[in-house]
Amino acid sequence: MKHLLLGNEAIAYGALSAGVAVAAGYPGTPSSEIIETLLEFKDRKVYWASNEKTAVELAYGAALAGARALAAMKHVGLNVAADPFHSAAYTGVVGGLLIVTADDPHMWSSQNEQDTRWYGLQSYIPVLEPSEPQEAFKMAKDGLALSESLEHPVLLRSTTRVSHVRAPVVVEPPAPPKFGKFSRDVERYVLVPQNARRRRADVLRKWELLKDFSARFMSVEGEGDVTVVASGVGYLYAVEALERLGVKARIVKIGMSVPLSKKVVDVVTDEVVVVEEGDPVVETQLRVMGIKTKGKIDGFFPQSGELSLRAVVEGLSKALGLGVKLADPAKPTLQPPPRPPYLCPGCPHMGTFYALKLAGAGQKVVWSGDIGCYTLGINTGQQDLATHMGSSIGLGMGIALSDREKLVVATIGDSTFYHAALPQLIDLKTKKIPLVLVVMDNEYTAMTGGQPSPSRAVPAERLMEAIGIKHYVIDPVDVKRSVEVAKRAIAEAKSGEPVALISRRPCVLEALRAARRSGFKPPKYYVVSDRCRSCGICYNLLKCYAITKLPDGKAWIDPSLCNGCSMCAQVCPYDAIKPAEPDKVSKWLELWSQA
Amino acid sequence: MVTSIVIVGVGGQGVMTLARWLGRAAVAAGYDVKIAEVHGLSQRGGSVEVHVRIGERVYAPVVSEGDADYVVAMEAIEALRAFRYLKEEALFVVNKRIIQVPGKYVDPEQVYRALAVHKGLRLVPAFELALKIGDPIYENSVLLGYVAKLLRLDGFVDWLDEKNLRAFEEGRRLASAL
Ligand code: SF4
Ligand code: SF4
Repeated sequence: MKHLLLGNEAIAYGALSAGVAVAAGYPGTPSSEIIETLLEFKDRKVYWASNEKTAVELAYGAALAGARALAAMKHVGLNVAADPFHSAAYTGVVGGLLIVTADDPHMWSSQNEQDTRWYGLQSYIPVLEPSEPQEAFKMAKDGLALSESLEHPVLLRSTTRVSHVRAPVVVEPPAPPKFGKFSRDVERYVLVPQNARRRRADVLRKWELLKDFSARFMSVEGEGDVTVVASGVGYLYAVEALERLGVKARIVKIGMSVPLSKKVVDVVTDEVVVVEEGDPVVETQLRVMGIKTKGKIDGFFPQSGELSLRAVVEGLSKALGLGVKLADPAKPTLQPPPRPPYLCPGCPHMGTFYALKLAGAGQKVVWSGDIGCYTLGINTGQQDLATHMGSSIGLGMGIALSDREKLVVATIGDSTFYHAALPQLIDLKTKKIPLVLVVMDNEYTAMTGGQPSPSRAVPAERLMEAIGIKHYVIDPVDVKRSVEVAKRAIAEAKSGEPVALISRRPCVLEALRAARRSGFKPPKYYVVSDRCRSCGICYNLLKCYAITKLPDGKAWIDPSLCNGCSMCAQVCPYDAIKPAEPDKVSKWLELWSQA
Repeated sequence: MVTSIVIVGVGGQGVMTLARWLGRAAVAAGYDVKIAEVHGLSQRGGSVEVHVRIGERVYAPVVSEGDADYVVAMEAIEALRAFRYLKEEALFVVNKRIIQVPGKYVDPEQVYRALAVHKGLRLVPAFELALKIGDPIYENSVLLGYVAKLLRLDGFVDWLDEKNLRAFEEGRRLASAL
């Protein structure tokens, strides 16, 4: 039976059919569906971890104890987990350890485009690279088996166009979970230098072995004077582009792109064209083997962004000297205005940013931001930087130390806070760095689809208490009080101490989901047109997405978008915004706060 | 032969649902299919773009610019944005509906005029029909019926409920009137 599965779902089913017993991950687009899918299987131990490092450690530890284990994350997540990742190659594993990363070329929802296959080369961990969901299923399964047979971790590298493509997949039923028992082996597991040095020799030996294994994931298709080496989704584009160009070629399909099989030299002619997604990882290895290549290094294919059929047709045409140029795409006579991402109507972060904006008015503020829904504070000019998980406090502390004129307001969501900020809190306290830390606690990892965040079990104020950081808790939907408290926090930070503001209200989308289940419809708000004086506070300052500026400058609320948060009614100075059903207002705010 | 379809709309309109329905029908009819969520599914109110490719064997997951046989737009401003995907002879199925971009009011008539530059334009009153059936959410069933008719795909009806089925039939009827 063929199921229409996402690549990520296929990876989960592949791991299940290999008897995966323990799995952990941290949500991040485009990887989240792997753990989401595994969570349905109650006979396994599957968790959302607080960050990728703990996720890899959970899986690594389980695999040391003989279990088959998986850790999943997006590409940048592997940076966070890089430490245990490298050590895992040295100790090796006993069960199977499959680490899955989903790379995001073109940065559809990421801060950089890194190609995680380099991590394979650097850590001596082999990398499998599927091209489509069916293959993703198979490689997840084979990857775990390979890992166990070699006693070595395996990295499965997917990209957006594998992870987020839906295609027919034939799946095998899940195998029973394979747990294990830990046996002591100090020389192997305790990486003090003398042990680690011995293990290093072992790693290098395994690496040579892997170069032979790699051939099992290599296949040669077709006949022709031209040879194309392709990996991952690059293979699919290459096949179709060659067909379009009417070129007969031999295609060497690479399934294990790191380390590259020594056998490649047996099949390639003197020059090959290389098609791969991301950096020239396969191409670089080919050059090291002394093979002449035309690929990304010399600019036949773009070095940034995703591959596309167009780019591969044009690149192949150039590499083969065919002179094919594709026509320019049609352009409309009217340019549509961009539809930039906005915070959802009624998003609690909208209220937090509004309060901070008012409280910070007239003062020199550096808005130190972070990675999550709230990065959209950029729309109201409240993100001066946002570079990686935890950057708000981390970089914010450095800025505060250097620029004594400005006040740093660091905004961070709850999931990111638990992911990356706890050691930073300790620095904040021990170094007495004066900044305003705003924990925007919506109690979910909302950006990736609403995974649970640790904030309910471990409220941020407990941590502040323990570490000794002065803090306030506000409800961002209570606009007036939020502004007052934010003002107080800013004044106190200016007098030289760190102050935390915990702004708490659940993600409105999660509240809506719960309301829908109970049959409750939130009240809608509307603008009393002749009261509106076109001041723009609601659509320019609060920036609710449901509020449109009409040609005459007056506000209009799209009833199909309004989620009834009441914030616009609170901020309108002319009392021009009203709820359509006033009796529902307090009920909704109450239900919402319990979501 | 691979048929390339680009479906666009605004987050929350059910663009992905429409794509999955098409994909299911294609698999039921024995085809290979690839559906790629190209843009914007994690946020509400943003542009959403999904690519569907159907054929005996489908390789590339994403449709290139100038390469779509069909562009289906659930919203007209997004249809303008998807213009670049149209092949010259492509059918351009557009729901007659505007969802304004906050703060940047555009005149609907201007949008429809600009779309009409493409000679394969089919403006479909899916939103209007859906409202008649009782809820805007039925607009994707109307469009599904319309596209299914164009693609000669069956295998939908057994899993659509009564109202969606009605919307679906309305869509088919509109397409047969061509
Ligand atoms: S805040 Fe009030 S007066 Fe100002 S534009 Fe909005 S509705 Fe009109
Ligand atoms: S009540 Fe006002 S601010 Fe809240 S979602 Fe509705 S329109 Fe937006």
